[in-house]
Amino acid sequence: MDGSQEINRKTWRVGVDSGGTFTDICMFDEETGRFAVWKVPSTPDDPSRGISDAVAQGMRNRTDARSDPARAIAYLGHGTTVATNALITHRGAKVGLLTTDGFRDLLEVGRQKRPDLYDIFADKPITLVPRALRFEVPERVLHTGEILAPLDEAAVRDRARAMRRAGVEAVAICFLYAFVNPAHEKAARRIVAEELPDAFITASHEIAPEFREFERLSTSTVNAYLGPIMHRYISRLAPRLEELGLGVAPHLTQSNGGVVRFEAAAETPVRAVLSGPSTGVVAAQAIGAASGFADVITFDMGGTSSDVALLAGGEVVLTSESVVHGYPIKAPMLDIHTVGAGGGSIARIDAGGLLKVGPESAGADPGPVCYGRGATEPTVTDANIVLQVLNPTHLLGGRMEVRRDLAIDAIGVMAETLGMGPMETAQGIISVVTANMAKAIRVISVQKGHDPRAYALMAFGGAGPLHAVRLAQELGMTRVIVPPTPGTLCALGLLLTDLRADFSQTRLIPLEEAAIDEIAAAVGQAEAEARDWFDAEGIAPDRQNFSRRIDMRYEGQNYELSIAVPEGEITSRTLETLAARFAEAHDRLYGFSVEGERIFCVTFRAEASGSVDKATLPHRPLGDADPMTAVIGTRSVWYPETRDFAETVLYDRDRLAPGMKIEGPAIVEQMDTTTLVPPGVTGAVDATDTLILEVPR
Amino acid sequence: MTRATSLDPITVEVIGAALSSIVDETGEALVRASYSTNIKERRDCSTALFDLEGRTLCQAEHVPVHLGSFLDFIPMVMAEHDPAEMRPGDAFVGNDAYLGGGTHLPDIVLAEPIFVDGRMVAWTVNLAHHSDFVDRGHAHIYQEGLRIPPIRLCRAGEMQQDVLNLILHNCQVPRERLSDLRAQRAANRVGVQRFQELCARHGAETVLAAGEALLDYAERKMRAGLAALPDGRWRFEDVFDNLEVPEPLPLAVTITIAGGDIALDFEAPPQTRTGINMTRTALLATVYYIVKSVVDPTVLPNAGLSRPITVTAPDGSLLSCAHPAAVNGRVQTCQRVADLILGAFAQAVPERVSACTNSACTVALFSGTRTSGPSAGEYWIYLETIGGGGGARPDADGLDGIHVHTTNTSNLPVEALEVEYPLILERYELVDGSAGPGRQRGGMGLRRVYRATEDCMVGVDISRNRSRSWGLQGGGEGGHGSFRVSPEAAPFERGRGVLRAGEWLEVVTPGGGGYGRAEEREDDIDMETLAAE
Repeated sequence: MDGSQEINRKTWRVGVDSGGTFTDICMFDEETGRFAVWKVPSTPDDPSRGISDAVAQGMRNRTDARSDPARAIAYLGHGTTVATNALITHRGAKVGLLTTDGFRDLLEVGRQKRPDLYDIFADKPITLVPRALRFEVPERVLHTGEILAPLDEAAVRDRARAMRRAGVEAVAICFLYAFVNPAHEKAARRIVAEELPDAFITASHEIAPEFREFERLSTSTVNAYLGPIMHRYISRLAPRLEELGLGVAPHLTQSNGGVVRFEAAAETPVRAVLSGPSTGVVAAQAIGAASGFADVITFDMGGTSSDVALLAGGEVVLTSESVVHGYPIKAPMLDIHTVGAGGGSIARIDAGGLLKVGPESAGADPGPVCYGRGATEPTVTDANIVLQVLNPTHLLGGRMEVRRDLAIDAIGVMAETLGMGPMETAQGIISVVTANMAKAIRVISVQKGHDPRAYALMAFGGAGPLHAVRLAQELGMTRVIVPPTPGTLCALGLLLTDLRADFSQTRLIPLEEAAIDEIAAAVGQAEAEARDWFDAEGIAPDRQNFSRRIDMRYEGQNYELSIAVPEGEITSRTLETLAARFAEAHDRLYGFSVEGERIFCVTFRAEASGSVDKATLPHRPLGDADPMTAVIGTRSVWYPETRDFAETVLYDRDRLAPGMKIEGPAIVEQMDTTTLVPPGVTGAVDATDTLILEVPR
Repeated sequence: MTRATSLDPITVEVIGAALSSIVDETGEALVRASYSTNIKERRDCSTALFDLEGRTLCQAEHVPVHLGSFLDFIPMVMAEHDPAEMRPGDAFVGNDAYLGGGTHLPDIVLAEPIFVDGRMVAWTVNLAHHSDFVDRGHAHIYQEGLRIPPIRLCRAGEMQQDVLNLILHNCQVPRERLSDLRAQRAANRVGVQRFQELCARHGAETVLAAGEALLDYAERKMRAGLAALPDGRWRFEDVFDNLEVPEPLPLAVTITIAGGDIALDFEAPPQTRTGINMTRTALLATVYYIVKSVVDPTVLPNAGLSRPITVTAPDGSLLSCAHPAAVNGRVQTCQRVADLILGAFAQAVPERVSACTNSACTVALFSGTRTSGPSAGEYWIYLETIGGGGGARPDADGLDGIHVHTTNTSNLPVEALEVEYPLILERYELVDGSAGPGRQRGGMGLRRVYRATEDCMVGVDISRNRSRSWGLQGGGEGGHGSFRVSPEAAPFERGRGVLRAGEWLEVVTPGGGGYGRAEEREDDIDMETLAAE
């Protein structure tokens, strides 16, 4: 077949992950079942350039297409940090806010708590809309939905004109109880759109129709703040991809681990603030499934921070609310917890004489002491260099020279202060950073009623595989999974992601027979919204997946537990099942449940997904267990188990083939990461080239 | 980390991280399983771990004044009850200011001993502010509610029903009390389990030794922080004013810093026949809080930090009261004392302190019997505390509308408040004209306007109603705290009165003081925010 024919056939599935430093592209050819990865430098001034470069170069390398390199693409998924970065750097749009009379300052007051209990100098996150752009209008709805005071439409018009004069690019509208009765918000939205036809408008009942006014207001405001940014971004990127010949609708990842089409993503940027780390979790889910692990805790450790998440029964855990960069956001998000612990985290002895590691990071410049760029404070990476867990002379597959002597000097100074040996001190830095990461994992596991010992730890990111076994030991976990390419897992995840949308509606209804029609109606409404979405996205019926949940609590409580609704019509039987599932969940989380106590349904949710054809992870037959062909040498590495150096076999990850077994102490090296296999730990490569480590308790 | 043979600083740090993880987790369990708005949304509760000598191993960072209720509780339990008779699953309850280590009666403490291999090794303790005991007098503590000395509420996991009934029958909303006590028990259960797991990993001896080392560590850090401050003696005066006292009461503190030690000597009038008296434990908790804030906010919140601190105050005074002084409103006084100490520090290290905060924990308390709806006939109580201005900092304006010092509770969402209680919130906003002017301005106070939809009793506790929060280095004073009711409402007496359906109450909280002269301010300040000089 000649090249022109090949490119007319759409056989490539492509994921592009745009990060701060590199833009990664992962390509999968449906015809041959082969994967390919390409990296280009990111272009932070206009990320769409880096992305189109990645697509053009990556596809040209694979298809020999001179023109229209994207023509052969059947599916393109894209993950971006545009929304997150705008929020972190406070470079969002100029937003005007419209609230119920008497409540314009709520955005600033929040929940009244101060940012730090003891630190007088701590500040709250910047309020995204200054006081002068926060406007009030007379109107009032009650919790029953009844209208106490009608909307003053003339006042809305007046405020909208004031916003226009001030030059706002986006408007957020949030009235009390709009989630019960959105009539006033709808009317206000119409008037604002008339006065500011070019503005991006968010009304709270559209983006987060749930109770707790501050969190709903914050979500609406963040959405408006990011709306124009996301619109601009997509309007630059889409034509670039079209120019490359892309003939399919591109998709963008959301914080819930799913993708939506660009047009839909542009309307709800607040749902994309965690789009970066979420694809890593999705990839981990697929790799876990391929290797036969359903209960997995993911551990993505980079230079400055670590992201952890939990997969129970192969399912990601979604949270409906979280605080992102200081701003409460009500949106479906993967429950990802971040801690300031990475390879670059700095170790210090504080005034009381204890060793602390992080959250300060040495960053890329000057970087760790061993980079020889003038840093004097040792980092986690320096500790690994001193222990010789990391290659003590070169990093990045030999491309970068490191100075172990400098790292030893820096840690030696610290050791003297602590009255410990330099090796013990280096290992101490590892232990402390491990304890910090263990604390993060406890937040997503034990604090949510999951015992980490029943989970496998999946390690990725540049530093994950290096620390995974120590972390597993700290938590009593017995299995560590290291995927084949831990450094580019997010781009891979984009090829494994389904279309996904979540719908919710707060309606306070008791879980009892008399209310069965009301419950059925509320469930039905969420379901209808999901059906509309399936139609809008053009998802064929055989690819539609749909599940329903109700957030429930005992009467009088204010925190709900999300319970899955059994399939089929809502009957008395359904209610009994819901009550039983709720009691079980309550008991698991809090250690008690109360027979006969009234249960309330609070928020009705529908999760809709449209399955896309996914890349299938390659399987190879298991071969000989002897790993001799993968051995590339030995190195003397210091272990706390023996408090001494031990000669350690080095393996090349690329040469480790399915079926091979290794025994600790061992080190597995590959271009993008290093895996530590301490004494007593054993490993095996499975059919998907994933390395499974067994950690004895 | 493998079992340590000797206690190196690393093991101590690792176990310290685990202890703080445990108190965080028990705190979260308490909030999520609770029923009363005061716990579930406002988070007016705290959790901690104690050793057998009653020293704080770790306290969750919730509400600093709650430490006062924890300080003497375990020693009192151990003195009143034979430790040899204690069993796993026992739980001790208490609240009394004189017999139970408490600082006011609504703060009910529940403690459970932790056993490892059949041996008692530590205590998990939590406190929930039960908003009950309303419509009472405050001439002495007998008017303020049920006094509970430390008694056994559960015996080996079994609830002592008669004890429970005695407590519940003395409460006005027993259903909420029962539910919140249940949540407190659930939280302790989490604490016990997690502590046992920690001991299983490291060995109980190591954990306890690390706990001991963490106390020493906090002490060392506090001493190092104090040693970095100039030595000397500084005195500062202010007054305490609220609606309960006819004339402002004079207060003063002298702090003496000498090397790694600090002494605080208070001057205060005799205790009063009102609820504003502070127990000595409340004074200690306040002192520990503010000294840690100024000297080093990162010192671990455990008993070690108090070792370099000496506190003296006249017995039987407003700041160190004796039986039978009433104490219900002690948090107002605690707030003023925290700022008083800040004023003394300001002379020694002006660059490390803020100007005076709003110096209050403004309270609005509503109660009544529902007259309509599904809960008609039921008695209800709703307590809320309202933030105010923070003090201006040397390099930044004061924070607007926040809780300061010894309290740090959340507000109740309007959309929860109006569902639960017959009230409509009409305004919730920052108060123009409340910020103390300055190169850095003080934080703004808050205004809340409530309209009653059914008749109810109201108590308002405001402070800085006569005095104003002071500025530093030429900064101006913050605005007053005040309240108003609708003109047709019957006049309130000392902040107490009745709202008929349809009538409203407006509460305004004080603003914070400014820092530096207003003329030095560099940006164009929005003059509306500033308090009139």
